[in-house]
Amino acid sequence: MQTMLKLFFFSSLIFLSACAPQEKLEEVNYRLKWLYNVSTIGDLYADAQGHFARRGLKVNVKPGGPERDALKELELGHAQFGVASADQVLRAASKGAPIVVLAQLFQVNPLHWIYRPDRTAFSSGGDLKGKRIGVTFGGNDEAILRALLARYGIAETEVSLFSVRYDYTPFYEGRVDFWPLYLNAQAVIIGEKLEKAGEVYAFLSPDQLGVRFVANSVVTTREMLAKRPGTVKRFLSALLDGWRDALDPRNQEKAIQVLLEADRETPEAVVRRQLSVTRDLTLPPSGAEFGRIDAAAWAQTEEVMRAQNLIPAPVDVESLLVTPK
Amino acid sequence: MLHRRFYQFLIIYGLGLGLLLVLKYSLNLSDYVIPSPDEIGRTGRAYAWPYLLAVLNTLGVAILGHILSICLATIVAVIGRLTAWIGSFIRTAAFNIQAYPIVAVAPIIFILLGDGLPSRLLIAAMICYFPLLLSFIGVFSEPVREIEHFYESTGRMTWRLQVKIRAFENIRKLTTVIVGSATMAMVGTIVAEFIAATAGIGYSIRIALYQSDLAKILVALFLIGVGTSLYLVSLEWAGNAIQRRLKSA
Repeated sequence: MQTMLKLFFFSSLIFLSACAPQEKLEEVNYRLKWLYNVSTIGDLYADAQGHFARRGLKVNVKPGGPERDALKELELGHAQFGVASADQVLRAASKGAPIVVLAQLFQVNPLHWIYRPDRTAFSSGGDLKGKRIGVTFGGNDEAILRALLARYGIAETEVSLFSVRYDYTPFYEGRVDFWPLYLNAQAVIIGEKLEKAGEVYAFLSPDQLGVRFVANSVVTTREMLAKRPGTVKRFLSALLDGWRDALDPRNQEKAIQVLLEADRETPEAVVRRQLSVTRDLTLPPSGAEFGRIDAAAWAQTEEVMRAQNLIPAPVDVESLLVTPK
Repeated sequence: MLHRRFYQFLIIYGLGLGLLLVLKYSLNLSDYVIPSPDEIGRTGRAYAWPYLLAVLNTLGVAILGHILSICLATIVAVIGRLTAWIGSFIRTAAFNIQAYPIVAVAPIIFILLGDGLPSRLLIAAMICYFPLLLSFIGVFSEPVREIEHFYESTGRMTWRLQVKIRAFENIRKLTTVIVGSATMAMVGTIVAEFIAATAGIGYSIRIALYQSDLAKILVALFLIGVGTSLYLVSLEWAGNAIQRRLKSA
């Protein structure tokens, strides 16, 4: 009888614990800047490996794209967190958008220019003079290029600007000397094609030439920071943990699988090469925390945009960059 | 006719703009999401001239593309009327080709023809060509029995006469289709410019979109509306003039 009672007691306990209400996760939307690709690997990893859930959050990680603007979605309340490049953030802030920057995902802007060193002699910024340079008019590569030209005292009439789109044919055919691309994305694919064709290539890094134009950063609204500081803090720490883990070589296989599940278009071999480049662009100098905000680079970005009249008025950069307490 | 089309466009544009501003002020949105009237005004003053030139550029390509597709649709429809089989084959082919979204085909055209005028012209023509073709085939394949019977029984029917009879009897339908496809030619040109060209108002809109500048886009939309209204009125006027002339002849 006693055994029966014990059995009844324990089974009731198991039944009740199963029925006990689970702690409800707080749901937030996180709008990325671009489609799922290697530049979003940490975001996807944080979600897939339960970093958000462990901090009581259910995060809907939504892909971005050319027609998506995380900053507008934040203001309209469709998303609570987002990823945007510094030029987008500064443009929005200059027009009164109530946003703040929580972390900087890329320490070096992935935007570079590819060129063929055997055909195009290039050793310093001054060598851009007389060259035919690809540029996306209206894109942030235009702002970066103009900043480079200004820095090296090259007038626009001394270079030939070529309007670029998705088609790389003008570069392949040698009609353009420098072609803009993202070092951790297209550069891997284009580089592979050039290697197969037996061509040598190199990259022009604006960062190394002294133009530090900030790329992807994590943003939210001032209202969110003021009214739900706990949520912001939990989100940010989960996200940065996710990024750190995704970039840790020990978790490489897991990270690649997570990305391949979301991005089925890119071959695994390409993702492997892209991940290694992404590590170099995102990891801060030793000793610094992942996601650190490079205030000096932000100030320079603001200066570049102001000099080119891309923002109507100066922006108080320091007030934009916050670390949640 | 011009002022009616123009004020109708102004009413629609004003309503759209008004709705945006109501949203802006009721939701307390920043100028980044929806620009203020002051910013739209400033942008309008700064960009009216370059954007007007860009709209004229686009309109020029759209008109050329439209003319090209009218000529091509007429030729194909006249050939297609010869037998029921050819007519039905062309109609099926037109439906199938029309089913491909132009955004998927356009990059191939730009890779093959480059980002200059030929690509923009071809895409503009493609977008308005198939609807024109389907209507033209319908018109030219349908006999006008009560008139054609007389010429056939007297043995005086020629293919030219047959085309003339069918065109004359359906002139109102043809004019309506041509006017209707004009807006498609304009849309086709803008889409082509947006995707890959380096000139025209579609290209300017793309740059404005890169810069998240809705004020520029609103100015561009206003000028596109004005340009399209002018073109449509010109076409309607030409259509009416032709109809009057045919009736008086």
